[in-house]
Amino acid sequence: MRRFFSILAGICLIFVLAVTPARAHKVIASAYASGQNLEGEVGFSNGEMAKDTLVEVFDPSGRKLGETQTDGEGFFSFTPTEAVDHLFVADLGAGHVARFTVPISDLPKSLTGGGKVPATATGAPLETPVASRGAIPSAEIAALVSEAVKQEVRPLRREITAYKEKHDIQSILGGLGYILGLVGVVFYLMARRRLSMAP
Amino acid sequence: MHIVDGALSNPVVIGGAVLAAGGVIRGLKELTMEKVPTAGVLAATFFVASLVNVPIGPSSVHLIMNGLAGLVLGWVAFPALFVGLLLQAVFFGFGGLMVLGVNTLNIALPAVIVGLLFRRWALSPNPKVAMVAGAAAGAGAILLTALMVALVLLASGQEFLTAARLVVLAHLPVMIIEGLICGAAVLLIGRVKPDLFQTLVGVSTLERV
Repeated sequence: MRRFFSILAGICLIFVLAVTPARAHKVIASAYASGQNLEGEVGFSNGEMAKDTLVEVFDPSGRKLGETQTDGEGFFSFTPTEAVDHLFVADLGAGHVARFTVPISDLPKSLTGGGKVPATATGAPLETPVASRGAIPSAEIAALVSEAVKQEVRPLRREITAYKEKHDIQSILGGLGYILGLVGVVFYLMARRRLSMAP
Repeated sequence: MHIVDGALSNPVVIGGAVLAAGGVIRGLKELTMEKVPTAGVLAATFFVASLVNVPIGPSSVHLIMNGLAGLVLGWVAFPALFVGLLLQAVFFGFGGLMVLGVNTLNIALPAVIVGLLFRRWALSPNPKVAMVAGAAAGAGAILLTALMVALVLLASGQEFLTAARLVVLAHLPVMIIEGLICGAAVLLIGRVKPDLFQTLVGVSTLERV
């Protein structure tokens, strides 16, 4: 028996050591405001993205607000028209459903009315002194800046998502520790019952 | 194969939870002191095995190792695998707490079934017969799990044939790998500790008398 358990424990240890960098097939999805739109991505935590998948959008009461389609890299964009919480649902099949909410506070500012969005203005109505001197209009600057920031932030976003999905050795050992503790608790309860049954 | 929260309809989730609770209670009744360490080791094996990924197609599938649990534990596989699934949901976010019952049923019921079917042959003194029985139990448990997942998806409104084909096809490599592992494990038990199965079975019947 002891040899059997030590062999099984060895197998477990090999698994632990061999799989630390591996990730499972959990569905990940997120969306964020970008200009007037909500942009997001849907995929699996192993880096595979959900290609050409239907993304449906609902309000909190379950009324459908609209739908959109992911592109070849799992990205989608949706233009919100109402200031309500947006629930995004994407069915990737075989029991994989991505479901996440974008709260009102995260909707584009143009919709919630909190502050103006320069990027939406087609021509700058109030010419700043800089613009009148023939430089780039402020609206265009704002658009450029927002585009640049988006580009810069995208890899960071991915990295954060990947980091969140990482199973490091601590959580694996933590789980094994819980199992060991449970075995101890069961032993304790059984021993108590046996003792109380003894005369 | 973990189904996530929100993929199933409410009646399926509740029905799965009730049936899984029944299985767990049945398992706890059969849990004897002698079986506790084995149950712990197999729960740990199951917990860790889910991190071994087999990349396939658009998704990836992972080892489950429920066949071996069923062979060695019988009904005790229910509580053991339940604990493993609970910890996976909490630590790794596999599956979800709401669908824990359905997932337990999907994984533990096939384990019990192959245990009942193949244990007799896994005990065979002929190592070849024992190994084939182990391999059949390992692969069969995965096949049954995949079919149950497809069935549960069907009950929640997905088209059965599409879902079943997808799930079963995705688990073919896992079936092969687990068949080999389970066969090797049974062979190992036969060589190192041939009375592992018998001792456990014998003790449990003794205590019930």
